[in-house]
Amino acid sequence: MKIKVAGIGLTKFGELWNKSLLDLALEASINAIKDSRIDKREIDAVFVGNMLIGKIAGQDHLGPVVASSLGLSAASFRVEGACASGGLAVHLAIQGILANTYKNVLVVGAEKMTDASSNQITWALMGASSSKERKAGLTFPALYALMTQAHMQKYGTTRKQLAEVSVKNHYHASLNKKAQYSCEVTTEKVLNSALISSPITLFDSSPITDGAGAVVLSAPTQSGSINNSSKGIFITGSAVASDTIDLAERDSLTELKATQMASKKALEQAGVETKDIKVCEVHDCFTIAEIMAMEDLGFCPKGMGGKFIEKGSSRLGSKCPVNTSGGLKACGHPVGATGVKQIVEITEQLRKTAGARQVKDANCGLTQNVGGTGATVVVHVLQT
Amino acid sequence: MSSPVTVWRHHKSIKNYLGKKGKIIVWTKVFVAPAGFEHEAPYPVVIAEFTDGKRIPLQLVEYEEKHLKPNQKIITVVRRLGKVKLDRVIEYGIKAKPV
Repeated sequence: MKIKVAGIGLTKFGELWNKSLLDLALEASINAIKDSRIDKREIDAVFVGNMLIGKIAGQDHLGPVVASSLGLSAASFRVEGACASGGLAVHLAIQGILANTYKNVLVVGAEKMTDASSNQITWALMGASSSKERKAGLTFPALYALMTQAHMQKYGTTRKQLAEVSVKNHYHASLNKKAQYSCEVTTEKVLNSALISSPITLFDSSPITDGAGAVVLSAPTQSGSINNSSKGIFITGSAVASDTIDLAERDSLTELKATQMASKKALEQAGVETKDIKVCEVHDCFTIAEIMAMEDLGFCPKGMGGKFIEKGSSRLGSKCPVNTSGGLKACGHPVGATGVKQIVEITEQLRKTAGARQVKDANCGLTQNVGGTGATVVVHVLQT
Repeated sequence: MSSPVTVWRHHKSIKNYLGKKGKIIVWTKVFVAPAGFEHEAPYPVVIAEFTDGKRIPLQLVEYEEKHLKPNQKIITVVRRLGKVKLDRVIEYGIKAKPV
């Protein structure tokens, strides 16, 4: 597989009260199209990743909302897969190109969360869970807290090790002007922040965020109007795997099988191994999620994720920095946009345009985007 | 907010889970609750495993702090779910209590 990342666009992430969902989607899309130097009339499909806007603002049918606002009459789709909506949209766009149905595709992930109250958002996000989980009064922090407890019980993972994920990602975000929280935090601040669902605290959790990311993907044979700076950045692996929607029904609470399956397939497609990955963006919606991702992706043995992060093995300057954007934790988590933002960040790294957070010699990167508690996982591999 | 017919349909399945014995696998205490559960926070939710090997998430009721531990024995009971306005149908469901 070889799909060209022809253009990228990203809005600022944060509480963007003066911008609507459409404002954000258009800003990212226009920047991605401009960056690709492809005439927008050559874009023959638009995929929009979004999870919540139908529930919290009553706006469905998002494909043509975005496409028509861009002045396009191309095929358009809304893709929903909980917090993996963006990654799924990228995956489906790739399938359209591989099938020779489309040549140039715009993928935009967008979410507008801060217009709703936190209670509304908590309720809306639980649409990604099972009815049993909702009736038990669970929330997503609580579901990940159950996984955290299981990991602590089985492997002795500590609160301090969990906190180090947050500390590291806030440091990375301090180098990213588009991050929601570009401030550094200390281990003590994370440990002493308010409990959301024991043992998860406020600073173990990703925030409520507005934002959008967009990419223009092209068949590799497309020639002519390709931006020089993006020449040679390709998606070489794209895979999706599913697991039970109900966390309790899984054999293990300390791993995401869907991550293991999707990454195996994506890496095989790309013809690379985990050891070849020089930079990655993983789905750190809660600190335990990054620790489990490191284990499930094969960066460290099972149960060693806590020690891996504690040793600084995923910080800028290490062999394979993780979440250089600041991750979901500090860059922000506009749920439907996250999977696309991860592609944008890795593309920046491979282009060598990531500025202060540039990873030296980055030539191969990976993204992992999770829906729910791992019922959907999308993995992409990018290479120069 | 569940509609009356949804509540009616859900209530028909309660008997399948009633009086089942099992143990706590993992637990958490929810401090920031979703809509309808705010008045109960903080409250514990567990993943319970029953003697037939099935696992389900359940809110733990009538508990003391000492019961919040793996392998604590529990039994399922019927209790009211969440809080609804006076003109809505009250929904019941399965919760767990320590034994």
